Amino acid sequence: MNESKKVPVTILTGFLGSGKTTLLNRILSEEHGKRIAVIENEYGEVGIDQGLVINADEEVFEMSNGCICCTVRGDLIRVLGNLMKRRDKFDYVLVETTGLADPGPVAQTFFMDEEISSEFTLDGIVTLVDAAHIDQQLGRSDESSEQVAFADVLVLNKTDLVSEDSLKNLESRLRDMNRMTRIIRAEQAKVPIETVLNLSAFDLDQVLKRRPSFLEPEYPFEWTGVYNLEAGRYELILEDGPDPEMSLVVFKDQGTSEGDLKEGAEFCVRYYSESPLEIFNGDHVPFSKHVNLNLKDKGPKSFILDVDQSCNVGLFTQHTAEEFDIKLLSVNEKNKGELVNTEKERIWVAEHEHDDEVGSIAIERIGDVDPEKLNTWMGRLLAEKGVDIFRTKGFISYAGNPKRIVFQGVHMLFTAQPDKEWGNEPRRNQLVFIGRNLDEEQMQKDFDKCLI
Amino acid sequence: MSNLEPFNPRGMLHDGWTSQVDDFAIACGWAKKGNIFLVGGSAGGLYAFNGSNGKSLWNKESSHQEGLLALDINPEGDNFATSGQDGAVRFWNSENGNELNFIDLGKGWVEHLCWSPDGKYLAIAFSRTVYVYSSTGKEIWKSEQHPSTVSALAWAKENELATACYGQVCFYDITQNKVNQKLEWRGSLVSMVISSNGDIVACGSQDNSVHFWRRSTGHDAEMTGYPGKPSNIAFDHTGKLLATGGSERVTVWSFEGNGPEGTIPGELGHHTEAVSSLSFANKSKLIASGSRDGSVVVSFLQNNGDGNPVGAAFSGNSISALAWKPDDCAIAAVNSKGKINIWNFKVRTE
Repeated sequence: MNESKKVPVTILTGFLGSGKTTLLNRILSEEHGKRIAVIENEYGEVGIDQGLVINADEEVFEMSNGCICCTVRGDLIRVLGNLMKRRDKFDYVLVETTGLADPGPVAQTFFMDEEISSEFTLDGIVTLVDAAHIDQQLGRSDESSEQVAFADVLVLNKTDLVSEDSLKNLESRLRDMNRMTRIIRAEQAKVPIETVLNLSAFDLDQVLKRRPSFLEPEYPFEWTGVYNLEAGRYELILEDGPDPEMSLVVFKDQGTSEGDLKEGAEFCVRYYSESPLEIFNGDHVPFSKHVNLNLKDKGPKSFILDVDQSCNVGLFTQHTAEEFDIKLLSVNEKNKGELVNTEKERIWVAEHEHDDEVGSIAIERIGDVDPEKLNTWMGRLLAEKGVDIFRTKGFISYAGNPKRIVFQGVHMLFTAQPDKEWGNEPRRNQLVFIGRNLDEEQMQKDFDKCLI
Repeated sequence: MSNLEPFNPRGMLHDGWTSQVDDFAIACGWAKKGNIFLVGGSAGGLYAFNGSNGKSLWNKESSHQEGLLALDINPEGDNFATSGQDGAVRFWNSENGNELNFIDLGKGWVEHLCWSPDGKYLAIAFSRTVYVYSSTGKEIWKSEQHPSTVSALAWAKENELATACYGQVCFYDITQNKVNQKLEWRGSLVSMVISSNGDIVACGSQDNSVHFWRRSTGHDAEMTGYPGKPSNIAFDHTGKLLATGGSERVTVWSFEGNGPEGTIPGELGHHTEAVSSLSFANKSKLIASGSRDGSVVVSFLQNNGDGNPVGAAFSGNSISALAWKPDDCAIAAVNSKGKINIWNFKVRTE
C-alpha cells in the first residue's frame, strides 16, 4: 500500500492528571476536517465527547525469545486490526495510553506487526507533562522519564500554576533528557492542533526538511552580535574574561530577523563541530571558520577583521560579549577608532551538565564514515544497550555514497535509508541517542573510529 | 500489455454466481445444507442469498451498533449467531433473518464465536471471559478471567472447549466446569485449530511462528521462520495436514509418520501477496487459499504436504473469508470491497 494512504497515528502519553483527556477533547472539538478514531486505555473522570472511541485494556505482549524490541501491544493490534476494516469511518487515529504505559511497545507495534504497519503509520508521540508535578514524578518513576524520552512533542501543561523561573529550569531539565523533542507550553492543554497532529515525526525526510538540524537548539555558543559594516578593516577587542580562550565563528551576510539568526545558528553548529584554528592576539580572523581565540595575554587583546564589501557581519561567540567586554572598533581612515554598535544581539541557551539518568547524546562530526565500521559499531551498541536506548535519529555521510543516509530507531529496531543528494553541502554526520545511563564520551570515541 | 482481456477461470473452478454488498465483508458461510449463503459485513450488515443462484433472500442493515466482529453458523441447525463491538450476541433464523435471541454481555467487544460440532453449544469470547450458551440462548457455563484477551476458540470434543490467549491454551470441560489441561507458552497466540481426533492443537503466534502440542504426550514444538504472523491456519478433515499462512505462500506441515518435526513442509506459492484466508474442503485434501492480492487458488495436497493447484480465480480485492459448500461442490469467497464470488468446483467422475 502507498505510504501516503496509510492512516496516521498519534500516541498521546503522560501521567494521570497531566491533561491528556482535555487535550484529546480539544483536538476532537476543533474544526480540522479529520475523522478521528480514539483508542483509549485510560478511563479518566472526563469523558470523551465523540463517536468513534474504543476502550481497550493495555496488554503488553513479550515474545518467547525475550527480545524487548519484539514486545508489542496486543490490544492495539486487535483494535487496529478491526478498525482497518472500517476505513470509511476515520482517517486519523489517536491512541491515549495510561499514565504508566511504556511507550516502547506502543511504538514498536507500528514497526513489528506487518498487518498493522501495512495500514497505519506512526505519526508522532506527544507527551503531556504537568508543569507543577513533573519534577517529583521524574524522580520517582521510570515511566515518566521514558515518556519524556520518547516524545516528539512535549506539551508542558498547566504553566499558569508555575513561576517563569521554574518553567525555565524545567524546560532545561526536559531538554537535557530529550534533545530531539519540541517543547510547547500550554495552559489547560491549549495547543495549536498542528503542533501535535501530522508531525511525520517518524518520516525523517520530512523532519529534516523542516529542521535541518533536528536537535532542539542548545548551542555551543552563547552570544551572537550582528554588525552593519562598510568595507574596510576592523578590530575586535576582548578584555580579560573567565577563560583563557574562546571559540568564535564569523559569518558575512548575517540577517537580523529571528529566523535569520536561527538559520545562522544552525549553520554555525556545523562549524563548531569542526576542530578550531587557534589564533593569537593581533591575528586576522577568517570568515566562516571555527577559530579559537587565544586569550592568555593579560590586558586587552585585539583581532583583525577585514571586510571587502559592505554587509552585515555576524559573530557567534562561545561566551557572552559581556563576559569579555567585547568591542568592535573601526580602523578605517574615515572613522578611525570609532566604536561600532551591534545592529542585533541574541543570547543562546548554552550546553550544560546533565544530571538525570535519562538523557540525550548528540554526536556531530564533519566528514565521511566507513559503512562497515559504522554498522559493526551500531550493531554492537544496540545489542548491548538497546534496552536503555529509547530512540535514535540521525543522518550520516557514507563514503562514496552521493546521498545522505537517514536513520531512526526505537530500542533495537533500526532503519536506515538513502535520502537526498548531498550536492554542495558539506558532508557531515549527526546522531542523537536518547536513553538511560549512556556513556557519551565512549560513544563519541567509538563513533570517531568509524570516521574515515 | 493493453490487450489483456479478462478470462474465465481455468481448471476445476467454474463460474457460479456473484453478488455485491456495500461493506467490507468479514465472514461468510453456508446454512441449511448449502441452500443459503450468509455474509456479514464489518459495519454490521447481514446478507442472505439463495445458495444455488445468488438471489437475495433478506438482509439487515446494522445487526450490531459500532460493527460486527464474528459470525458463526450452527452446523446442525437452521440458525446462526453474530457478535459485535456493542457487547452483544444475537441468534438469527437464517431463512428469514428473524432475531431469535439476544445476549447482552456488557461494555466491550465480543470477538469470537464458535458452535460446538453437534450444534448444542455456542462458545463466546468476550474480552478475558468465555461463555457457553445453549442454542436457545441460555447460559450454560462461564470461565474465570483469562490472563489476557481471548484470541481464539475451538472445540476439542462435544463438551470440551479450548481457549487461546497470550501465554496459554486451556481446555475446559464445560459440563463439569473444570480445567482438563493447560498448555503454557510465553507468546501471543493469534489463531488456534485442533485436529479432528482432538489430540493436536496448533496456534499461530505473534512472533511469526506456529506452535503445536500433542495433548496425549504433552510434547510441543515450534515452527519458526515465517516472514509474517500465521493468522490463518487450518487442519484437513483427517487431522494429518496443517496448512498455515504467514506469507504469500501456504506452508503445509504433514503429521504423517514422525512428522512434522524434522520434515520439510510442502509450499504452495501461487499468490503474490500474503495469504489472508485458508479453508480445507470438508471431505478431501483440497485446500482453498485466498490472498490480499485478491486471488483464490484451490490446491490438491498429497500426504506429505506437497500439492498442485487445480484451479484459480480472481476476486479483485483482498480475500477476507472462504467457505466450502457442505458437499464440497462449490467454494465461496468474500472480499474487502464486499464482492461475493461463488465458484462451482467440478471434478471429472469416471
